[in-house]
Amino acid sequence: MKRLAVPVLAALSAITLAVAIHYIFIRAPLQYSLTGEGRLNGSSLFFNQKIFYFHVAQAFMLFAAVGVAGVTSALFLWKRDPKWDDIAAASVDVAVLFGAVVLVTGSIWAKAAWDVWWNWEPRLTMSLLLWLILVGYSLVRKFAGPSADRVAAGMAIFGMVGVPFIYKMVGEDSHPPSGAQGVVLNLGTEYKLAFLLSVIAFLLWFLTLTILRVQGTRAEREARELRERGLDLGVLQ
Amino acid sequence: MKNIILVLILITGAASAQTGAPVPPPPVSEARQACTKAMNEDPEFAKNIVATADKSIDQRTIDAHNAAAAQIAENERHVVYAYAAMWILAALFVGFLWYRQQMLKAELAAVRRELDAAAKDSK
Repeated sequence: MKRLAVPVLAALSAITLAVAIHYIFIRAPLQYSLTGEGRLNGSSLFFNQKIFYFHVAQAFMLFAAVGVAGVTSALFLWKRDPKWDDIAAASVDVAVLFGAVVLVTGSIWAKAAWDVWWNWEPRLTMSLLLWLILVGYSLVRKFAGPSADRVAAGMAIFGMVGVPFIYKMVGEDSHPPSGAQGVVLNLGTEYKLAFLLSVIAFLLWFLTLTILRVQGTRAEREARELRERGLDLGVLQ
Repeated sequence: MKNIILVLILITGAASAQTGAPVPPPPVSEARQACTKAMNEDPEFAKNIVATADKSIDQRTIDAHNAAAAQIAENERHVVYAYAAMWILAALFVGFLWYRQQMLKAELAAVRRELDAAAKDSK
């Protein structure tokens, strides 16, 4: 069953993504709005709004990955059980991917919507800092020596604490507002279905990558422990 | 000579005074007069004329919006860039996973070789 988890999730993710792409490009209409005087609203995005469906969906997955990493890191520091550390390390690797996608696609969308690639507004800057913390986590794990896992766990918790600030900053800058007044909850029916499918597809993709990576980090740790044991016993050199 | 200059100044002054005077409105054409009269006499006709004019203005607005939407809709460049970036980054990550898997396999093979060698030595 465990062996089947990754291929089944990957297949489901691919199918859902194909359906989501159909809804995004065929079913969902172009986004534009008119002012009270019947003029074209300057915030209309037309075809460029198609970036929204995977940019925002992957931002949700970034937050989910950072949340999983933070919680499992806290559990690792509390219980000292390496299985939590395996999950945290895997989640951070996946979060680095989603973070990179969110930053790059967000920058491209900013160029399309605001005609700038980057404008150092609070939310963009905080997102970049979060991504750098995640990259820092990976570097610490690789180079910080014997206590690397505990230092990295602290970094993951620090990164998780930053997520609500990023979410809160939506609407305080050029981004549309979040929460009850936000874009996501007030999407039209034809847009909402495409967005929900996109979120489900990327959630399945997130689970696929995380499980695959957890298997990898667990196997790496077991190989490392085996070698250390062999060295301690004098069997290995 | 003085008389000639005086006459010229007077003529120029008169001409400039004429250009500054308000231009009388053009005479209302007979067709317009007839139309105004018909509109005043028949409210239904007046309503139809206004509706036709409004429809024409609305259609022009819709055409302008459609033209703007088509122009922006044709700008697929940024969406293509964003999708390409997403797939490239995903492919790089899968490549990274494959690389880590290969490293792990090599590590396990090395441990296995060393264990086999140690087992032979102990015999």
